[in-house]
Amino acid sequence: MKRRNLLGLAGLSALAMAGCTSTPTNSGSSTNVNKLDAILPKYQPVDLVKPDIVVPPPAAPGFLSYPSTLVDAITTKPGKGGAPIKVTTLNWGTTPPGLGKNKYLDAINAELGVNMDFAINDGNTYSDKLTAILSARDVTDVLVVPSWNTNIPRFPEAVGTLFEDLTEFLKGDAVLKYPMLASFPKGAWQHCVWGGKLSAVPFVSDNPFAWGLFYRKDIFDAAKLAPPKTAEELYQLGKALTKSDAGQWAFGDITDYVQMIFKVPGSEGGWRVEGGKVVNKIETPEFMAALEFTAKLFKENMVHPDLVGDPNAGADQLFKSGKIAIWQNGLGGWQNTYRDQLKVNPNFKMLPMPVFAHDGSKPLVWGADEPIFYTFIKKGLGKERTEEILGCLNWCAAPFGTKEWELRQYGAEGVHFTRGPDRVPVTNDTYNNEYGNQYTFMSGRPAAITGGSDTPNFVQDYTTWTRGAVEHIEANPWAGIKFEEPTKLAQLNKPTQDKIKDVVRGRRPLSEWKSIVEDWKKNGGDEGREFYAKALNA
Amino acid sequence: MLMTAPAAGFLLLFHYVPTLGNFIAFKDYNPFLGDGPIEAMLLSDWVGFGNFQLLFEDPLFWDAVWNTLSITAFQIVFYFPLPIALAILLHSVISSRLRGLIQGVIYLPHFFSWVLVITFFLMMLGGDGLFSHALRDIGLTAPNIMTNPDTFIALVTAEAVWKDAGWGTIIFLAALSAIDPTLYEAAAADGASRWRRLWHITLPGIRPVIVLLLILRLGEALSVGFEQFYLQRDAVGAGAAEVVDTFVYWQGIVTQNYGFGAAAGLFKGVIGLLLIYTANRLAHRFGEQGVWSR
Repeated sequence: MKRRNLLGLAGLSALAMAGCTSTPTNSGSSTNVNKLDAILPKYQPVDLVKPDIVVPPPAAPGFLSYPSTLVDAITTKPGKGGAPIKVTTLNWGTTPPGLGKNKYLDAINAELGVNMDFAINDGNTYSDKLTAILSARDVTDVLVVPSWNTNIPRFPEAVGTLFEDLTEFLKGDAVLKYPMLASFPKGAWQHCVWGGKLSAVPFVSDNPFAWGLFYRKDIFDAAKLAPPKTAEELYQLGKALTKSDAGQWAFGDITDYVQMIFKVPGSEGGWRVEGGKVVNKIETPEFMAALEFTAKLFKENMVHPDLVGDPNAGADQLFKSGKIAIWQNGLGGWQNTYRDQLKVNPNFKMLPMPVFAHDGSKPLVWGADEPIFYTFIKKGLGKERTEEILGCLNWCAAPFGTKEWELRQYGAEGVHFTRGPDRVPVTNDTYNNEYGNQYTFMSGRPAAITGGSDTPNFVQDYTTWTRGAVEHIEANPWAGIKFEEPTKLAQLNKPTQDKIKDVVRGRRPLSEWKSIVEDWKKNGGDEGREFYAKALNA
Repeated sequence: MLMTAPAAGFLLLFHYVPTLGNFIAFKDYNPFLGDGPIEAMLLSDWVGFGNFQLLFEDPLFWDAVWNTLSITAFQIVFYFPLPIALAILLHSVISSRLRGLIQGVIYLPHFFSWVLVITFFLMMLGGDGLFSHALRDIGLTAPNIMTNPDTFIALVTAEAVWKDAGWGTIIFLAALSAIDPTLYEAAAADGASRWRRLWHITLPGIRPVIVLLLILRLGEALSVGFEQFYLQRDAVGAGAAEVVDTFVYWQGIVTQNYGFGAAAGLFKGVIGLLLIYTANRLAHRFGEQGVWSR
């Protein structure tokens, strides 16, 4: 302890007495990642299988057939067989059993040559825990963080304090030691730079879209309904599909997707540039219209009552069981939900609605241009251990067409899957029970949309949707800039969300919206506007 | 002396030592300075009463305080007496086997987590729950129980009663069994009715315990629990469900603004201390012993 600090402690009462008061501020920061080329890894693609369906990037290509022989891409085990590598990750859905009770982990750990021991968090509430994990400095050897949680105040400082600087391990030709990681595009690596240091391994996005609005095709077909082309048609669908006497409701909580339908801006959490001026979504007439529409859905009881209570309360279960017919979710969950429920109900069919705008005009689609996750390695593990972990991440990044990809994606043959007639693995209950995206979320891999007989027509449906949506992705004026929000703006998030919910659920009249926006401006919204305007001009 | 060592150690380690950390309420605490949390505490900048200034200027904070106090007041009237009544009823059950069975049943919900309790309520009383479907089946409209902010205070109290009223009887049962049975015999011999015996023997007999628990409850007037409100926040909105503890969580912890959160926590502690002190003074005035004697 330094003497200055002791003096500081003793000075506590004196300071307080003197009323020497200043209010704490953290005014946030932004980094332009386009200026960092020197420390980025070299790009060296791994081309194994040619895609059958190519969609304009950034949407991922689709593969219709399964390769007859798989490549053994990584022949030496990256692990040194020492103490288990502890990993904190997240998953949406039930938590699979841990090390020692999970054959999926056993199979892959044997390939890696070291045990990976996972602590899996609920993806819906991960952000709430993350701040506590970080500030307690209680991080495991490897920590996976979703990109939408990285703009919290002081995150860059947390990265500098807690996580290893990977620059020397990965920059330039150094990355060639990990050839799978070298196949990640530069754009993904750019985002992994904090404080001028390459600090994480990115999960390369295989879907650059924020949301899909899924509907139960089988239920629609039975009722002779078609997906909507306008907001009014969506509302009529809500009327037709809600039969509360029979325990059926039309919608899950679709608040976000409705905003997209009404062309509310979505960049950096809802900002856009309008005639040279930075505007937040809540100030726009589009947002007002979206609120009004969503409030109507809630008022007329078209949203399942459990989800009115808690938007995360098992919406996927309600959708699978047909208690709701329309549901917003990330495209990433599509294949799993489809596969799971098809085993229970062979008629089950889910599709995302083709994108549309409220008035039938050209739609707007919220993009997601950052990597989905970042994987950090704890500081101070030593060179050897860090390299071992990078080797394991390299293994997890093996692309479609390799043995490693199949093992990570489907588990072991005979234990977790059997091979279908088209050679594509068909998974069983052991897989469903044991797989929880453990290794999958640890590092990305070159994007590929694949599927087989357990999810019929999935690849075609997926690429058809993305082809329709990709040209409408909203241009992000702040693309390539990383943000740490000012504390004031971060503190404003929750109260504002609360007020939006109040209006949507009818607890506050829509007429109050003007004063809510005024409050927002006063309490940090205007500061936020300046913050984003400044980043734009920097 | 030696027997109290584990308890004393526990108090010291988990209550007194963390209390020292309260000084970050006067700092702009940055958890990532220095080599560890302690150094971070020391190295962060002093801001005097800056955090308190921000806190007291925040209308949301006062909303949360108001909600908390309302819930406390409501629960003192509608929750606090129930374990007493329940204990008196239980005490009058003669068969010890039957009493044991009832005790087992009513203690049990205490061990359920709030997630389970709220899920249980949702499945029974929610819009897609048993009760709503039963009402719809006979042609009535289902009331909006789980998502109505106006009746939320009654809902949380009902949940608390279901979960903890049984558990709360333990102390009162102990106090009841300490009453000298000869008093009852003498009163009965003098012709006192059941109600008179309750009023003149039972209640005065357990009055010190009631007063003691009431004072302690007042000291926690600004704590009404966290999970119960965190879990039901979306259902009724922050306007009804934001209490001091959830406010600290959202505005202090989630936004990494720990100094601010600590200031709110310290404020809560000071108010609690004042309330205990005042309530104890009042108890003394009415001739009770209170938490500590004069």
